[in-house]
Amino acid sequence: MLMLKLAFRNILRNKRRTLLTMLSMFGGYFLLVLSFSVQFGSYEQVIKFFTKDSTGHAQISEVGYQDKPTLYAAVPATDEFYQQLMAQPGVTQATSRIVSSALAYGESKSFPVRVLGIDVDKEADMTFLKEKVKQGRYFNAQPDVDDYYEVMIGASVAQQLQVTIGDEIILISQGADGSIANDLYMVVGIIGTKDGQEARDVYMPLAAAQDFFVMPGQSHYWAVLTENYKESTALATELDQWLVDQKRLEAVSWQVVADEFYRTMKADIDGGYVAYYIIIFLVCIGVLNTVLMSVMERTGEFGVLKAIGTSPRRLFALIVIETMLLAGISCLAGFILVMPFNYYVASVGFALPNPMEVSGVIMSHMRGLWNVSVFLEPALIVLGSAAFISIFPALRAARIVPIKAMRSL
Amino acid sequence: MKPVIETRNLSRHYGAGDTLVKALDDVNIVIEPGEFTAIVGPSGSGKSTLLQLIGGLDIPNSGKVLLSDKEISEMSGSELSDFRRDHIGFIFQAYNLIPVLSAAENCEYIMLLQGIPAAERKERVYKMLAEVGLEGRETRLPNQLSGGQQQRVAVARAMVSQPDIILADEPTANLDSQTGMDLLDMMHDLNRHEGMTFVFSTHDPKIMERASRLIHIEDGRVIKDERRED
Repeated sequence: MLMLKLAFRNILRNKRRTLLTMLSMFGGYFLLVLSFSVQFGSYEQVIKFFTKDSTGHAQISEVGYQDKPTLYAAVPATDEFYQQLMAQPGVTQATSRIVSSALAYGESKSFPVRVLGIDVDKEADMTFLKEKVKQGRYFNAQPDVDDYYEVMIGASVAQQLQVTIGDEIILISQGADGSIANDLYMVVGIIGTKDGQEARDVYMPLAAAQDFFVMPGQSHYWAVLTENYKESTALATELDQWLVDQKRLEAVSWQVVADEFYRTMKADIDGGYVAYYIIIFLVCIGVLNTVLMSVMERTGEFGVLKAIGTSPRRLFALIVIETMLLAGISCLAGFILVMPFNYYVASVGFALPNPMEVSGVIMSHMRGLWNVSVFLEPALIVLGSAAFISIFPALRAARIVPIKAMRSL
Repeated sequence: MKPVIETRNLSRHYGAGDTLVKALDDVNIVIEPGEFTAIVGPSGSGKSTLLQLIGGLDIPNSGKVLLSDKEISEMSGSELSDFRRDHIGFIFQAYNLIPVLSAAENCEYIMLLQGIPAAERKERVYKMLAEVGLEGRETRLPNQLSGGQQQRVAVARAMVSQPDIILADEPTANLDSQTGMDLLDMMHDLNRHEGMTFVFSTHDPKIMERASRLIHIEDGRVIKDERRED
């Protein structure tokens, strides 16, 4: 306690210098919290959106499908399989999809497209597909009175084929049995924008896709959601365990499915760290200067402390405690003051000057994060940096030769 | 009786060649427990150097310092710190109190290092400060005390941890003669009652008169060792 008291009183010796140092640490903490909140808040928003709308948190597919998707790598797409899947711990939603390619024909033009066979109702509940319909309406699962299945097409498909709502398109591809697949479909909806990821897609009901690609009771993968996207890897592991008897199938997390997207996000996060390193570096320089000055000014006093029996280890600890006290008080003040700011950023958010498209949906508004780690991690970084920075001055104090040091008194 | 301090052929030199200064040259002294010894001599004679070497604050060029049969020149930095903490009390000419600690806290500090429980620390500190005449001034910071009072705190700090030896480097040099004499009387009383070994340096003839033993040093050499009746 006396050591703590001594450290506390020492930092109050030069109040102006202490205040300036604390301001630099306070500023560093404040900026780090807001930067963490905004950066990780936006990532979380994008990842949540992307995984919910596109990949799911995990996918079940045939082994090897994720590396090399083929028409022939099928999984069961039955109600029984769905019920079993939904009974697995952590699974909140699941939907089955067929993904392949085809050549689409309009009145007079053709265009290569990606064909997605989806469960119409489940997909509407699970993803944002329904909200992305720009013209027409969301399609029905059942064929119309003329026995045509309804499809929704991407904006580029509509433009290239010069078709609109109510027009028919013909798709030609290959069936899983090696036959030539071709059929006529009614366009009831145009989705997304010409630049969106759905621009070249044709969405059709799962049953239609199973007929078209000759995959009765099958699909290419199940997209599965859990409560929190952060549990994706755990969910994939659980599902993989469940599938252990079915050697043909595997479960992987969205990070594996959307490897490129994930790596791009990670690279962006790493890039963001450069800004944090700069903030931390500036804070460290300020702290080092103060602590070093403080140690140099007290050289004689350290000599006395050592002469009367203070061990080098205790002197070292004294300097580290002093620095940590400065950092701790700064972080506490920063925490109190940054809370309302971050609360605003996390609850109200802010408009993006340049709206961005994620998974076909325009995001023009971002929110920060409000959780323990947003406040705790910057505090640990500031405290850790302060502890690291104090090592050099602390070593200097610990290595003082009493008789030489006392000459400066 | 086993000597509490013994130096054998102790030498401390500064510089080299033409600039070589022999601060201490082949000093051999033996001090018994409970002695009240003054190291006397003119300025620059080597008194402070001898005390610094005895206290392990400096390292000799040659020779040995044995405190209670332990050779301190062979100790590492940490061992020396621990040894000083447990066996030696220092009183410096310039008091050298910790400016941010009160009189009581300055005294308490060494006992804290020794791991003495807080309640015992407090009791001993208040008793010792009362013995040196600072009752009621325990919570004052050094800059709120006079020079004489600060030196009394320094004496209390040196004694409160009950070391075997107290080394005082010109403890009265910064005090007026009356305060200096009072302080020395107090040290002498503590020496008699507590039985601690006091070794102090001085060049003040009035102070020398109070010592039971005078070791005269000149040019780094012991020129006379005089024992006196108490």
